[in-house]
Amino acid sequence: MSARRVAAVGAGMTRFMRRAQETGKELAWEASRAALESCELTLDAVDAVCLTSAPDAFDGVHMKGEYLSDGAGAFGRPFIRTYVGGGSGVFTAIQGWYTVASGMADVVLVVAEEKMSSTQPHPQAAFLTIFDNVLERPLGPNLLWIFALEMNRYMSAYGLDKRDIAAVAVKNKRNAADHPAALLGRSDITVEDVLASETLAWPVQRLDVSPVSDGAVALVLASEEAAERITDRPVWIQGVGWNLDTAYWTNRDLVFPEYVRNAARAAYAMAGVTEPRKQIHIAEPYDPFDYKELHHLEGLMLFDPGTAPEAARDGVLNRDGDLPSCPSGGLLGVGNPIAAAGLMKVAELFWQLRGEAGARQVPGSPERGVAQAWGDLMQVGTVVVLGNEGGPPTTATRLPDSPTPPASTPGHPLTEAEFRGATGAVEDAVDARYAWDAGVAISRFLGGLREGRILGRECRGCERVLVPPRMFCERCFRGTDAWVEVEPTGVVQTFSICHVSWDMKPLETPEIPAVIAIDGSSGGFLHVLGEVDPQEVRVGMAVEAVWKPVAERTGSILDIAYFRPVRGGAP
Amino acid sequence: MIERIARPDEVRRWPGSIPVSHRYTPGVAGQAFLETLRDRGVILGSRCDRCRYTYVPARLFCERCFAELAADVEVGPAGVLRSFAIGFVGVEGEPLESPLTLGLVQLDGADACLLHLVLDHSDEPLEIGRRVEVVVKPAGERTGSILDIEGFRPVEG
Repeated sequence: MSARRVAAVGAGMTRFMRRAQETGKELAWEASRAALESCELTLDAVDAVCLTSAPDAFDGVHMKGEYLSDGAGAFGRPFIRTYVGGGSGVFTAIQGWYTVASGMADVVLVVAEEKMSSTQPHPQAAFLTIFDNVLERPLGPNLLWIFALEMNRYMSAYGLDKRDIAAVAVKNKRNAADHPAALLGRSDITVEDVLASETLAWPVQRLDVSPVSDGAVALVLASEEAAERITDRPVWIQGVGWNLDTAYWTNRDLVFPEYVRNAARAAYAMAGVTEPRKQIHIAEPYDPFDYKELHHLEGLMLFDPGTAPEAARDGVLNRDGDLPSCPSGGLLGVGNPIAAAGLMKVAELFWQLRGEAGARQVPGSPERGVAQAWGDLMQVGTVVVLGNEGGPPTTATRLPDSPTPPASTPGHPLTEAEFRGATGAVEDAVDARYAWDAGVAISRFLGGLREGRILGRECRGCERVLVPPRMFCERCFRGTDAWVEVEPTGVVQTFSICHVSWDMKPLETPEIPAVIAIDGSSGGFLHVLGEVDPQEVRVGMAVEAVWKPVAERTGSILDIAYFRPVRGGAP
Repeated sequence: MIERIARPDEVRRWPGSIPVSHRYTPGVAGQAFLETLRDRGVILGSRCDRCRYTYVPARLFCERCFAELAADVEVGPAGVLRSFAIGFVGVEGEPLESPLTLGLVQLDGADACLLHLVLDHSDEPLEIGRRVEVVVKPAGERTGSILDIEGFRPVEG
């Protein structure tokens, strides 16, 4: 490959806040200016700008990239916004990398911003349409379902103890207590606190989850020649990788993030990393939920599948452990302004590998780190490997003269009352309404449900039966071959007991969403369970569809009222 | 191969919406702009001396050089109409009872233009280059909103 070498030479961030007075533009500018000042550059030196921000629906600004562009320094410059959901923050560093590596630019400003506090009544609203509009949204899902279902699958497959997973939340919130830009640092938190917090969607509890936040992060990337002019301590982007799994999330085995492993393999290959457990000294895996950090450490091949939780329990992931993980405090501790949180991880590696992380500094002169994020429809992995190639100077040639992390801004946090009472605040709803076509395959599928039949499509290329059906196979990329009827029975792959609605209001009766592998098909299917005590539900339980009376069926996923345990079926 | 739709009645549509609304707060510079408009009835801009450019409304930073700016330059109240448009239909395409005139006005002392209504009750046709001035609501009726400005009114000169 003839790519040019690319170095990170500066980084900056705003404080992560529950509600910032700053507009999105103002947040982006604060972080961008801090990053430029950290390497003593002015905006004139910037050749191109790469920006990311997660859904437009958070800020409530359609075409948010253009809206944020002036705060990112894009006036009069080549500018691009990239977007891969939660994976965006790390991906935008990759975008910046190839803008420089390709020779298009010598100095690139990489900016990630998120302002989630604008969204009413709750930012989860912006996530509802990640579910299939025809097959999943009628079930009333919320975002927690996906996490809870994945977490339970992970725990069930390896017989994991929730305490070991909670140890991640404890570690990260403690680490964040040393981060001046953190929203939720807590040096005294314990595993008991996590286990005693409110259950949202079992097994997910309040303190397993990262907080809704506003914030921005920026990074300055430079070509080798430019980096030599700018700094005597460049941190090199040694490898990048990104990868997608199937968009049919219920068709995946949620136990292992294959897409992260694929992305990591690409990044490690570029970086010349052949033994990640020896050659990676710091990890910043994506941790919107505590189990996700563990899941991702396994995807990054830093632990065998199912073994990261014991590492968390035994302190291996602590700052002074064998593999420090999220020394920043991660999303769980610093905060989770979605896109900005991912880039914060790359910035943390930059500071760590320059020996500038102050109270958060990982001991032992780390030389290489990996940052990773995850997103899109929960199936993209984005990975960046950074290294200082020779170690940070044992006696820094130029000591940082600002508090750690260098170049963070205090911001203007608003209380709930200040937010509600702010002069000039405006409330508005987009009020866009849609009619989603079910499409060719799903129309036929829904017609089958009305007749009390579950229909799938057979792909003779990979010998799978696809439920929900589709007219093309996304693996073989050929038309599927034939309609087949499968049994209205299946096996629970994973489930959750959900106590809150999408806008985080308590539910009177908990819901039991489940991914069910329909007998005779390949992969799972989202529905809810009924006629069962939530405490009796088990992964592996045999279930059957309970149909609505014929007269009440309309050709909808709700023609199956729910699934219930097969009487006398497998336990 | 694309399968033909043999039975159109099987094609289904699922209606829905994205149930999201927003509360927009005006930000650091925006709040200074709106509070001054409310309290003193004047328009605040921000000057970047390095770029020799005065932004209106006030901004926290210069998008040209990234300098931090203060909201401390009073502009107007008079200025020049740089462009205008006359709307005869509303957002849904419905005819308006009386046409609405929108103007881009470069207030005296500013480089950027401010967008607002043109309050033109004369029979004379409006012209680009016309002198106009800002009309603000009476002090007691101002709330800290862009609507504390009623619009621009043509003036002599």
